[in-house]
Amino acid sequence: MTAKRILVRLALGAVPPMAILVIWHVASVGSVVVPSIPAVVEVLAHPFRAPPTLDATSLANGALVSVLRVLAGFVLAAATAVPIGLLVGRSRTAMDMLQPTMAAAMVISPIAWIPVAIIAFGLSSPATALFGDEAWRYGLLDRVRFAIVAVIWLGAFFPIALNAAAGARGVRETHIEAARVLGAGWRQVLAKVILPGAAPAIVTGLRVGGGIAWRVIIAAEIFPGTRGGLGYMIATAHEQASYEYAFASIIVIGAIGLALDGLLHLAAARVSRWQPKER
Amino acid sequence: MAADAGTIRFEHTSKRYTTPARGEVWALRGVDLACEAGGLTCVLGPSGCGKTTLLRLAAGLESPTAGRVVVDGRPVTAPPPGIALVSQEGALLPWRRVIDNVALGLEIRKVGRAERRARAREAIRRVHLPPSVDRSLPHELSGGMRQRVALARALCPGPRILLMDEPFAAVDEPTRHLLQDELVRLWQADRQTILFVTHNVEEAVTLADRLVVMTFSRTVAEVPVPLPRPRDRLDRAFVDTLLEVRRTFAEHADGKHDGYAERPAASTNAEGG
Repeated sequence: MTAKRILVRLALGAVPPMAILVIWHVASVGSVVVPSIPAVVEVLAHPFRAPPTLDATSLANGALVSVLRVLAGFVLAAATAVPIGLLVGRSRTAMDMLQPTMAAAMVISPIAWIPVAIIAFGLSSPATALFGDEAWRYGLLDRVRFAIVAVIWLGAFFPIALNAAAGARGVRETHIEAARVLGAGWRQVLAKVILPGAAPAIVTGLRVGGGIAWRVIIAAEIFPGTRGGLGYMIATAHEQASYEYAFASIIVIGAIGLALDGLLHLAAARVSRWQPKER
Repeated sequence: MAADAGTIRFEHTSKRYTTPARGEVWALRGVDLACEAGGLTCVLGPSGCGKTTLLRLAAGLESPTAGRVVVDGRPVTAPPPGIALVSQEGALLPWRRVIDNVALGLEIRKVGRAERRARAREAIRRVHLPPSVDRSLPHELSGGMRQRVALARALCPGPRILLMDEPFAAVDEPTRHLLQDELVRLWQADRQTILFVTHNVEEAVTLADRLVVMTFSRTVAEVPVPLPRPRDRLDRAFVDTLLEVRRTFAEHADGKHDGYAERPAASTNAEGG
């Protein structure tokens, strides 16, 4: 790509953010709801400062709590959904048994499960499970409530499982047979043929699941009964009319989501590099 | 076991499939065929006559409906050790580089990385591929090169038996001739037992010691091919043998000669050779 083309692409990509900034600036003039750009920049510039006007921790702490919650639910979802997806993809019995339920569960918004998860898990967390009454001493660990992790798990599980199933189903029988004739047992067929063959689809599922998890966490944190995290900060900022914190949180949510997707995009490019490029 | 090493025997072997569209189809009916150790046997037949099924049974990828298949003196119930299969499309794993594809059999046997790489490089050299293809992915190679890689992968673990399912059918004629000549050269050096199926009469005459004609799921004729090697495709004796095989093939092609022409609908042959 030439330098001129790179400059043109950068300039074109900058048009929407610039337009948003202009609209934001115009909307903020004389408004009590839309904060000024400098007020939000001020919050972003001091991410470790506890908000003086809010019953919330710092922006950085909120982001860390949200990321930890998403990571816990997402890792759990990946660890359970990939094996189940592979099983559904390779076993007709498993497919007949699980696929309809998975397809039905996929269309239910994970947010609908939030009240159920809160009833099921209450305020329990890894800290309450490990330290009982002393849980409050372990702030971060106590913030990773099982109810929220369960909702994230539910949100990420189905796209990952369904994509893993599709990937495993797409592995060609001739490739499996080639390995079997060379002496591979089922473990080696799984490790050397099915997993690498299904990897591009699995990573696509992880990208979709990761995006859903990140969207669900904000909704779960806005829900009454949870504390900490960026969603909680948005809800509290709204209640206490400190909108610059809500806007700053939204920008951080976007930035972290973009970084998460970027990482998974790199993983996708790595596991898919053997696929010929479409021309 | 030692006396039977490298032998393949089909003992009155039948194979029936059930398909949603056509009901029961017999891919093989009572086939008796013995391949001696170190021989190069070609099975010649039209598409759908059961050739591929024959190889799949020997490879342990299918079980016979009746009769049995014996490899190395043992009935086949799973892929037997010491065999290799080369299919028409090569079945290279597309995510593995050439060297890792060729080394797959050794990797499965847990041979150390350095040794398997050295042996894979040797196999690549033996099929006349340049060392520079080591790092290529299969889709970056031509059809002929991919088939050479598939052949190298089959040869790399040093199999006693090589099963070949129309491996050169998808390449152009000059490349096919080159690959046939290389296969013969490798076989003369290693003397594996080769069971090679094809629908191409010239290919069968070029390669075979012994040629078995199949039609309608049965073996119907055997033709020895006592031509000296290397075989010249323009040589008079080669052309005469080719014509004789074509005549034999044509005699059996419609099934009338063997009384198989009038077949009930449910006993048609399986698809895909």
